[in-house]
Amino acid sequence: MSSAQIEIQLIASLVAIACAIPGTFLVLRKMAMISDAISHSILPGIVIGFFITQDLNSPLLILLAAITGIITVVLVEYIQKTGLVKEDTAIGLVFPILFSIGVILIAKNANDVHLDVDAVLLGELAFTPFDRLLIAGVDVGPKSLWVIGCILLITIGLLFAFFKELKISTFDAGLAASLGFSPAVIHYGLMTVSSVTTVGAFDAVGAILVVALMIAPAATAYLLTTNLKRMLVYAICFGVFSAISGYWLAHWLDASIAGSITTMLGILFLMVYLFAPNKGVIAVLYREKQQRTEVSLLTFLLHLRNHNEEEERHVNHLNEHINWQKVRSKTVLELALKNNMIVIDNHIVSLTEKGTDFTSQAIDYIITNEDSKIEHMKDDFFLFRG
Amino acid sequence: MKNNIAIKVDDLTVAYNYKPVLWDIDLEIPEGVLMAIVGPNGAGKSTLIKSILGILNPIAGSVSIYGKSYEKQRALVAYVPQKGSVDWDFPTTALDVVMMGTYGSLGWIKRPGQKEKKLALEALEKVGMLPFKNRQISQLSGGQQQRIFLARALVQDASIYFMDEPFQGVDATTEIAIINILKELRKANKTVIVVHHDLQTVPEYFDWVTFLNVKKIATGPVKDIFNDDNLTKTYGINYKVSIQE
Repeated sequence: MSSAQIEIQLIASLVAIACAIPGTFLVLRKMAMISDAISHSILPGIVIGFFITQDLNSPLLILLAAITGIITVVLVEYIQKTGLVKEDTAIGLVFPILFSIGVILIAKNANDVHLDVDAVLLGELAFTPFDRLLIAGVDVGPKSLWVIGCILLITIGLLFAFFKELKISTFDAGLAASLGFSPAVIHYGLMTVSSVTTVGAFDAVGAILVVALMIAPAATAYLLTTNLKRMLVYAICFGVFSAISGYWLAHWLDASIAGSITTMLGILFLMVYLFAPNKGVIAVLYREKQQRTEVSLLTFLLHLRNHNEEEERHVNHLNEHINWQKVRSKTVLELALKNNMIVIDNHIVSLTEKGTDFTSQAIDYIITNEDSKIEHMKDDFFLFRG
Repeated sequence: MKNNIAIKVDDLTVAYNYKPVLWDIDLEIPEGVLMAIVGPNGAGKSTLIKSILGILNPIAGSVSIYGKSYEKQRALVAYVPQKGSVDWDFPTTALDVVMMGTYGSLGWIKRPGQKEKKLALEALEKVGMLPFKNRQISQLSGGQQQRIFLARALVQDASIYFMDEPFQGVDATTEIAIINILKELRKANKTVIVVHHDLQTVPEYFDWVTFLNVKKIATGPVKDIFNDDNLTKTYGINYKVSIQE
């Protein structure tokens, strides 16, 4: 690997981490679309900042762009508060207008500025190693690396300091307010961090990938864990994994790095969406199938308990009585046998003691919803979980 | 008559979009009562407690807790919001939610430690939820979620408890368990204020009641003012309630 390659992967990874942290909270606050709005509407801030400083990595430019980001959030909330339109509509109204102001500003000055709309939308990671930071004439690395590195350090510092505040105001803003943790302060703090991160990442990965890096890793992590800290760690890992694997995908395909990273994020989400152990599609389908079988089993056992007459319990006549297909009857019969809940004596099915017990307890649970007695059964049966 | 005034509300008016939902409320709540706030939907019951807690800003009037502003007396007050006000799919456990009750005494930045965890476990024990401490909160039933919320308030060890419809969507067992805990709090001379919907249970559960419908209709001991007259004034229809002695 050349040093440029290492630098690109390092920048992409730092951007991914810096995005995943605010992204996790945006996803939990159901504010994913706000990151889309911010990433587009900071454009005029970037353009104006660029006109003033002539430097895409200047702190002034980052500040101006972050302010535009906050203005976006305030405008969206203001329009929404009028009650005339819903939040998504308000977002859709605000950011295209701000973005187009930026586009017009670029177009008007396109000749003497090296800033174009393509680069803004998609970014160009491949060029980041060329723009070096010189301190006293010494090359200390790409400017983007320093910019995103600083932003990441601040983000991590804030996360450690205010983790508890972020958690409580995200989960229960009312309680946070009553305990003296102003949800507004935390909200705008998070919005500021999101805006600053977006600007810092913008130059490297562009407006579209920033959104992907904020939302996709967090959404993927959300499917895998029920612990906020772990969700943050997973989101960061997914972000970094996509950044590095995306880089090599681009290398192999000779395609856009930003595009390849986003593709990896998409593939990763799809994989987890399908195969996640609890919330994944396949796990859910399996659970549903299992529950269906368990309900059948219970229905069958209940039928046996309620009927003493032999014709109701004859193996060959069970289909008619419970009105099931042959296959289903067979599955249920085998399941009950395997669990020692029934015995078949001369084609007549009877409940065992275990079967009787189980049936009573299960029915009791379904009727009264009293958990205590059923706790031990939850491990064996999906029916009684969740 | 009890003498210490726990909460005093003066001329409180609260509006949403310039439409008043609470009009000129004057209220004195004595220390050590278990009080129900009753009134029809939209009467401003939740708004009243949210305004007392500084979650909403009134357009006029003031609130004092033991003679001082809420900001100064935060530590004395615990709040149980409506169960439906939070996202129960949030990635956290029962124990962690209860720990949130300790955040107020910690203040900004400082993190909960072993002491806070111990308090939270004790509170879980009190509401009978200790076996579920590591359960993800969406895996709890409605009644269990309400108990978790109650535990979170208990952990604050406050003098005044506000509860917004704690009996909504819970079964009879949980309702009795909750009311027993509230009665214990009253015994310890705590003041408990509950937004309540079921008029039938008011005389059985509470000793103090406030009738509210945008304006305050009446407030006082249940045995003196919980009558058909006030119910009719509050609910607008001819209300008859049978009070079991």
